[in-house]
Amino acid sequence: MQLKKPIGATLASATCSLLGALPAAPVAAQEVPTWQVDTALLYYGEDAGRVSDGSLATSIRRVLDEDRSFSLNLTVDALTGATPNGAVPSNGVQTFTSPSGGESYRVAAGEAPLDPNFKDTRVALSGSWQQALGDSMRWNVGFSGSDEMDYLHLGLDTRLERDFNRRNTTVFVGAAYGRDEVRPLGGAPIGFSPMIPSVGGGEDDEGEGEGGETKDVIDALIGVTQILSRRSLVEVALSYGKSDGYLTDPYKILSVVSPVTGAPVPGPVGSGLNLYLHEQRPDTRTKQSVFAEWRYAFDRDSLAISYRLMDDDWGVTSNTAEARYRWNISENNYLEPHLRYYKQGAADFYRTVLFAGAPLPQFASADYRLADNETYTAGIKYGHRTERGEFSVRLEYYHQTATPSPGSAIGDLANFDLVPPLNAVIAQFGYKSSF
Amino acid sequence: MNRLRQCLLFLIALGGFALGGCATVEPWERDLHAREDMRPNEHDAAIDDHIYFSKEASSGGRGFAGGGCGCN
Repeated sequence: MQLKKPIGATLASATCSLLGALPAAPVAAQEVPTWQVDTALLYYGEDAGRVSDGSLATSIRRVLDEDRSFSLNLTVDALTGATPNGAVPSNGVQTFTSPSGGESYRVAAGEAPLDPNFKDTRVALSGSWQQALGDSMRWNVGFSGSDEMDYLHLGLDTRLERDFNRRNTTVFVGAAYGRDEVRPLGGAPIGFSPMIPSVGGGEDDEGEGEGGETKDVIDALIGVTQILSRRSLVEVALSYGKSDGYLTDPYKILSVVSPVTGAPVPGPVGSGLNLYLHEQRPDTRTKQSVFAEWRYAFDRDSLAISYRLMDDDWGVTSNTAEARYRWNISENNYLEPHLRYYKQGAADFYRTVLFAGAPLPQFASADYRLADNETYTAGIKYGHRTERGEFSVRLEYYHQTATPSPGSAIGDLANFDLVPPLNAVIAQFGYKSSF
Repeated sequence: MNRLRQCLLFLIALGGFALGGCATVEPWERDLHAREDMRPNEHDAAIDDHIYFSKEASSGGRGFAGGGCGCN
């Protein structure tokens, strides 16, 4: 009786014998899977009644042959909760108008002003085609699109890879173009125009936004992956991005306060509101980043450490460091702890408040995401492989603290947390399989 | 200044490649590199990137900066 042995294993043994080396592990012939499915159910929840998101993300990859494959990714997000509107707390009750102008909401004295009307569903679809071009080149072309109540994105991307140095070095270049349409509820406000009171009969905040504002985004990427040793490799990528068009957040406002007491000043006569001005950002943004990742394989486990440096012409510079350790407990079980640290400097035009009587700057935003901030993320993932595929559960904790712009905490404002910290949990259940 | 730091970092990385490039790892020595856990988990990365993109002023790095949301 003849014993059957996979041809790959036979070849590997033969090759190693010829070269006088021992294979570190049995090498089995690998069949190309026809389908690969990766699905995740995600919950993202912020504290203090802020944003929560229930999300389903599915990727399907079809391998046609050794040279060609395509993939499709679908994500559906259901978002609810409250989001900071940009104003600061005060000693009195504050009233704000909802984005559509149809409703108003009140914020208690000393409370962080949150717009409670945030509710959205986002559907995103992307796909790509991968094609080998000879033995050492691969080409990828893809599309992306997403739709929300007030936002539409359409994009195209492409990437070319080439191997050198007996496949120890891979150089890649890529480019992407996106065109986004912003359809703010109630229309896009004019920069620095005051919030006006609810007029009644405005459109429902859950309705479709109004069209008219667009932005174009171009990204370019060049990088290299280099195998350093039998156990390690490094990847470095340099990227450049340029956005052109409507980059303002139509829902964010700034409080105008007394430069002496820090109290809000009255808004337009007869409005009954304090003075809140709509933010205004530049209409272009150019950013560049350097990303480097080092991966190392132990006999059983592996480690990945990455770093990213980014800066842009809005004055934001950020540093991101991230590490993952894959602890392969057994053949079918693993744990993966994850740590991430992120720190950014504020955009030049970030202002926690504007002061009454002072000339208006050319641009200003009180969006906490443009403030000087620092973030820690810690998480762990557990994976279990079965004959039917891999099941996983992942938990992450996200903590962000931001610093108000210098000179903001004057008078009454010194008593408040002008930019409240953000805490969020992320829980993800995953399933992936090849068949 | 920031550009300078970026260029410096890139040059250091390129130097690293030059050194690394000296030691060629042959295809039959790639068993550890072929392990599934030595490849980035693109699915998880896409989910994380979308969250960070929504809460921070930076995006991209490993891949395209992305976008496609009016995230709050």
